[in-house]
Amino acid sequence: MRDEWFRADRLPHIYCAGCGNGTIVNCVLEAVSMTGWDRKNTVFLSGIGCSSRAPGYILTDSLHTTHGRAIAFATGVKMADPSLHVVVFTGDGDLAAIGGNHFIHACRRNIDLTVVCMNNHIYGMTGGQGSPTTPLGKTSTTTPYGASETPFDLVDLAVAAGANYVARWTSFHVKQLTEAVLNGLNTPGFSLIEVRCQCPTSYGRRNKYREPVDYITHLKAHAILKDKWESMEKSGQDMPADSFPVGEFVRRARPVMGVPDEA
Amino acid sequence: MKLEIDESRCKGCNLCTMVCPYKIYRPGSRPNRKGIYIPELDRPERCPNCRLQELYGRRLCGVCALICPDQAIRWVPEKPYEPMKVVIEY
Repeated sequence: MRDEWFRADRLPHIYCAGCGNGTIVNCVLEAVSMTGWDRKNTVFLSGIGCSSRAPGYILTDSLHTTHGRAIAFATGVKMADPSLHVVVFTGDGDLAAIGGNHFIHACRRNIDLTVVCMNNHIYGMTGGQGSPTTPLGKTSTTTPYGASETPFDLVDLAVAAGANYVARWTSFHVKQLTEAVLNGLNTPGFSLIEVRCQCPTSYGRRNKYREPVDYITHLKAHAILKDKWESMEKSGQDMPADSFPVGEFVRRARPVMGVPDEA
Repeated sequence: MKLEIDESRCKGCNLCTMVCPYKIYRPGSRPNRKGIYIPELDRPERCPNCRLQELYGRRLCGVCALICPDQAIRWVPEKPYEPMKVVIEY
């Protein structure tokens, strides 16, 4: 059970009321407890940000590293001892902005990591600055008139760079997310699970989703399953504004690095 | 099994009131010591996990516990039901 993986004396955590990161930690730990891994052979890593507080609440070895370098440290852990199970928690500012190069090269090398990206569209911890994934027209402290730059699509980036397993869900789809994380843990090679989650305090407050329930309802309404998305694209329909495809995007068996049999 | 909300962890985000298919959770009406409106349970024995977990031997549904960002929702084992002995005095 996932309760055995929580550091109960550190709870309640510091996340704001209604923050999606707690939900994602629940789902990841549920998936990890389903794999039957030993706590001594599992390492959780993180960079800097709200999402990266997560390993502090988990009762295993963990590394809280410098901003954006979580994947670089994880590569080192995996290369030093390929028998370890390595899971990386990271945020969108961590993975897409400052750690972007580490991310695409980890995809290219196809190292046996599982990366869970908690994408809350904003730099939440430092006060709500716009990140590379802030959607067009949304307000943040550095984009007070609406973001004018096209956001990153992390899933397309990972697929193009060569990751072995790529999925995207939101923090509303808890069961599907647990299943996707379990698949990612069991897939050899690099697996990315992008989770769109709510940040009612920094992002929602400036974009009319102050209540967590309103935000989750918005995520639920704008997440379109991948098959439906593709059929809509094929028939030439206009996509609803702010919507995004969810589901499993790729699962393949490219040559991998860091698996014990090969090392 | 009995459904329980941990008052020391709950932060009152009311996500459980939205996801439960049986509408067991209701938004709270009075603040607790910390000023948090903790959701109230409306006939929690309707929860399928409370009723059927022993029968199926696994956790059923459990969406509220998964979506709870504060790990505040859990099921605690209960003692088996014991019929009360009533002494009737004539």
